[in-house]
Amino acid sequence: MSSLDSITPAEPARQDHAIPVPTGAGSDLLSTQSSFRRARANAKKETLKNLALRVASVIALVFIWWLLSLFFPPSLVPKPWDTFAEVGVIVTSGNFFTEMGATLRRVLVGFGLAMIVSIPLGIFMGTLRSLESFFEPPVILGLTMPGLIWAVLAIMFFGLNETSAYAAVAVTIAPMLAISIWQGTKSIDKDLIDMSNVFHAGAWSKVVDVILPQLISHILAAIRYGLGLAWKVVVVVEMFGFSNGVGYQVVRGFNVFSMKAVLAWTITFLVVMIVIEFGLIGWLERSVTRWRPRVQAWRR
Amino acid sequence: MAYVCVDRAVKFFPREDGSQMLVLDGVSFDATEHGITCLLGPSGCGKSTLLNAIAGLEKLDQGEIEFRVSSPECRVMDRKNPKENSELGARNPELPVRNPKLGYVFQDPRLLNWKRVEDNLVFAFKGMKIPRESWQGLLEKYLSLVGLLSFRKQYPLYLSGGMRQRVGLARGLAIEPEILLMDEPFSKLDQLTARQLRQDTVDICARLGQTTMLVTHDVEEAAYMGDRIVIFSSRPAHIVEVVDNPLEATKRDLDDLAFIRFKKRLLQTVLKLVDQEGV
Repeated sequence: MSSLDSITPAEPARQDHAIPVPTGAGSDLLSTQSSFRRARANAKKETLKNLALRVASVIALVFIWWLLSLFFPPSLVPKPWDTFAEVGVIVTSGNFFTEMGATLRRVLVGFGLAMIVSIPLGIFMGTLRSLESFFEPPVILGLTMPGLIWAVLAIMFFGLNETSAYAAVAVTIAPMLAISIWQGTKSIDKDLIDMSNVFHAGAWSKVVDVILPQLISHILAAIRYGLGLAWKVVVVVEMFGFSNGVGYQVVRGFNVFSMKAVLAWTITFLVVMIVIEFGLIGWLERSVTRWRPRVQAWRR
Repeated sequence: MAYVCVDRAVKFFPREDGSQMLVLDGVSFDATEHGITCLLGPSGCGKSTLLNAIAGLEKLDQGEIEFRVSSPECRVMDRKNPKENSELGARNPELPVRNPKLGYVFQDPRLLNWKRVEDNLVFAFKGMKIPRESWQGLLEKYLSLVGLLSFRKQYPLYLSGGMRQRVGLARGLAIEPEILLMDEPFSKLDQLTARQLRQDTVDICARLGQTTMLVTHDVEEAAYMGDRIVIFSSRPAHIVEVVDNPLEATKRDLDDLAFIRFKKRLLQTVLKLVDQEGV
């Protein structure tokens, strides 16, 4: 009987009826505050260490590349620094920003279209059983459809213009986004919905304050996968006969069999992607998950 | 403030095989106004079901739940039909109230972890349509009552379990409900934290004159917190006894002989029950 444990002669009598602030929280509060400070100092050290590890990983990749270049002729594996010099030429030559801009625009428009369709679709599929049954087959089918085929279909249907690029990107990634958000919606905490009912929260407040915040991590994961997939599709579309974009430049390098040009354009592309991934999405993630303490206890 | 009259409440739950399981078997009692009414009974006996029915989360199969006001100065509130509200100060002894304002404190804190402590209270204010001008005052009053005013800008996951439950208590109180419903709010806390929170809750409710209904399976908690204790049998639940606490809220002391004697008396009633049912 656990409730009997507390009746010991040592228990002090209650004396503080007149004091408005309960005293019990006090010891709690002190220990929490000092642990905040310690956590902040640790966090700085952690960030530096993580940065160093990431730089080391890139250097290791370049080193392996250099090792390979010792065994192959430069037409097959060019030296890393020759390629980096070519990257420099591309970036300073002037057409880099228009080419990259064209590709970026196609990715972002297609991606935006897919998000606009799949976030509501995913939420409806997670909440309404009948819509789940109705939309499950097309979503699963869409997931297995290769991006290359969507690219071919879009170009045949819309012709060689921007619309076909937008459509191919959007159609390829929408099923994946929808699945991620659909599964996320199914794992929503029902107790919090009960809580919001008890306090008579309105429908809008329920979506914005209760449901969407629980989907944030699923949406962020979907954005990461979705952007990665969008790059792959857009390059394929551009290779088919577009006259600008990174994909077109890679094909041009291929036509003159310049391994250096193909690799250099790929590198510029990867750098832009990494800036978006670590800069933009990383910042987005940090700013929307500030409420969540970093899990560290079980990670080494 | 208002209080609750439960009249012959009956509730069935469907079993897996399609048959019906009787959960509440004609439960009737009156709760106290301005005090804490404890619903005490073994785990799984249907106390929480009844509390949810009072909160409007579940429907009874038979019977009535009525909300009444007994104090003559009290204004009868009807949130859905404001026309039927009586004038302030009109004498309405024992008039039924429809749709009183209810606050709820859950077993786990059920906070929106992505909102700061104060925004969790604001979420309830918005839902209950409390005018924006009074938010600031209510926030300060109730967060300082539970001792967390300095943590108003903190996110819940950075607080300890006891502090999170305090936020839940502040949220239930801050909408200034006519009845506060609490569903085993201390059962997931460690012994010391729970004890401190019980003491604080009794103090706060006594100071505010808050009408409260508290579900518990802990006899000591019921004896310490309840001004009236309603003892439930195990399933299907009926009322075994309704006991009024002989000790005043502010004079209960866990070590005092009078308290221990009262607790023993409750414990005997409950133990006898367990013996009979053979649970």
